[in-house]
Amino acid sequence: MFKFFSACRKESLILIRDLAGLVMLFIMPMIMVMILALVQEQGWSSLSKDPSIPVLLVDEDHDTLGAKIQDGLKSSNIFKIFTSIEGKPITREFAKEKIAKGSYNVAVIIPKGSTKIIRHKVQVMVTQIVSGIMMPVDNPFLDIQSNDSINIIIYFDPGIKGTFKYAFMATMKEYSMFIESSMIFGSFNTELKKMFPQYRPPKTEYKESVFFTEIFPAGKDEKAVPSTTQHNIPAWALFAMFFIVIPMTGSMIKERDEGSMIRIYTMPVSYFIIFMAKVSVYAVVCIIQFILMMLAGKFILPLAGIPSLTIGSNYMGILLMMIVSSLAALGFSIAVGTIARTHQQAAAFGVVSVVVLSALGGLWVPVYLMPEFMRNLATWSPLNWAHVGFIDLFLRDATIVDVIPQMAKLLAFFIVMISAALFYRRINSPINS
Amino acid sequence: MSEKVIIEIRDLVKIYKGSDEPAIKGISLDIFQGEIFGLLGPNGAGKTTTISILCGLFHATSGSARIDGMDIHSHLNEIKRIIGVVPQDVALYPTLTAWENLTFFGNMYGIRGIKLKEKIAEGLSVFGLEKHANKKIANCSGGIKRRINLIAGLLHEPKVIFLDEPTVGIDVQSRVVILDYLKELNHKGTTVIYTSHYMEEAEKLCSRVVIIDRGTVVSMGNPRELVAEHPEFKDLENIFLHLTGKDLRD
Repeated sequence: MFKFFSACRKESLILIRDLAGLVMLFIMPMIMVMILALVQEQGWSSLSKDPSIPVLLVDEDHDTLGAKIQDGLKSSNIFKIFTSIEGKPITREFAKEKIAKGSYNVAVIIPKGSTKIIRHKVQVMVTQIVSGIMMPVDNPFLDIQSNDSINIIIYFDPGIKGTFKYAFMATMKEYSMFIESSMIFGSFNTELKKMFPQYRPPKTEYKESVFFTEIFPAGKDEKAVPSTTQHNIPAWALFAMFFIVIPMTGSMIKERDEGSMIRIYTMPVSYFIIFMAKVSVYAVVCIIQFILMMLAGKFILPLAGIPSLTIGSNYMGILLMMIVSSLAALGFSIAVGTIARTHQQAAAFGVVSVVVLSALGGLWVPVYLMPEFMRNLATWSPLNWAHVGFIDLFLRDATIVDVIPQMAKLLAFFIVMISAALFYRRINSPINS
Repeated sequence: MSEKVIIEIRDLVKIYKGSDEPAIKGISLDIFQGEIFGLLGPNGAGKTTTISILCGLFHATSGSARIDGMDIHSHLNEIKRIIGVVPQDVALYPTLTAWENLTFFGNMYGIRGIKLKEKIAEGLSVFGLEKHANKKIANCSGGIKRRINLIAGLLHEPKVIFLDEPTVGIDVQSRVVILDYLKELNHKGTTVIYTSHYMEEAEKLCSRVVIIDRGTVVSMGNPRELVAEHPEFKDLENIFLHLTGKDLRD
């Protein structure tokens, strides 16, 4: 056992002696997590605080629909509406040209006569309903079909993200449905007044009557609110944790290149003890890294107006999850460091595979937004297991028993990686042969 | 020197991956306990490959080798306890001090506590390195690194020590200290297996030498006897050149 502790001491001394490298190991992931969380959080939350997405609106209708859509987009506090530029009203051609050049992302064209078409359609429908009440049998109005429809044109910059396009279209559909409903309501009143002069329309305007209450059931605590912070901080922290592959493989290959590892191979000590010592020391580094990133999410990011990270109360569960996640990251690093012959091989393979595993694991885009095939693949990524485990602990008030499946998978991944490294070392010479 | 064979090599062959030409082609030789045995040969002759197989760094493609009666494949762990290896390159951690390096390598040999401290202090003292004990290896001169490299392989008092060109690239003073110490070790009963390009050094130091070229043994014996057998050549270097040729090697 003292060989193991001696190897741990050696690893710690090597790490401590490279103070700049050690500081970077802790500071750089924190900076990365904070910047990414800020960018992503601000990207969406700022939309509700400060209208920032410019939208060109070409209102050829000059009637209710155009005005209502403009009001709706403005009131959303997401979009900044431009109907004229430098004092000149925006035309359809001008808007198309600006979008094509990428100067603006979205343009909405409300064609001439749109309101008239809606009005006519509503009138036909209301007339049919009212006359159906008055003359239910042999009423020629009942057979009239109104096939008129409006085609609102939306120009999108081809470079915008699909998610933004879907969000914008959903907003537009919501407004147009609300506008159509309120126009039906208005037309009803007009027609009823025509037919029954004594009819007094209500003074209230048409208002939505369906509302949504958001509740996030999470065990005892239903206060936890999903936010980009809640997804991003553990996601990017795990991403940074797996990037330990770079310093770890660097240290292994350096030891080999400098010859000290060759000397060790001639000594009565097993390779397992040597790399388990390395794993133990680097596991402490990973855990400190992770704790620092969580603290940043909890205390530093709120200073920038970002929701504080909720970490729940199962601290033992979090500690165990941190340990097994670190082991998974380090097992992977040991395997890469054992098999790779050069820094270049280890860095290229290590970085790309961590990026792939994290994307696959739902760290960049949540798994539920992925197609089914990708969702199935995601269940094979250790980063996904760790992320799911942390989300369960942070938000769902999970107990240690609840996250045992994730912990077991991470531990199994570590064992498989270590076994692969040992097997490779057994069948291959420690020096390039 | 006793008559006991401490290293027995039989028909040892090593073919590296991706190479058609064997690095060593059926080498057989016996090394006796208490010898200072020189493995000589030009670059690429197979000296380092032979030592690497004996130390367990490589598996031989075929053939066998035994150290102190133990097969190198089946008893490698036991063999590692009785051998010391001083690699050709300085195999130390540059950011650790001399003392820290020696402590770590001593621990890996299973030595610890006061015994290890005494062994390190003794090693540093023999090589005049006491004042460099707490200096980082990266800040030491080539000669100091070589001497610490040597101490690291001797801390556990091995029965057999393998030295791969231990005096390459150092000044005369360091070389003399190292060679004197090897003689002293040998007097205490340690078998020394040593590779070198310095023929004069081998002639003075070794009780027997083997000259290897292109993976085969071309000559073996006591250096003085070899010179006596070839009176037309004045010294070991000329015999060496005669046997291995003057062609430049890779």
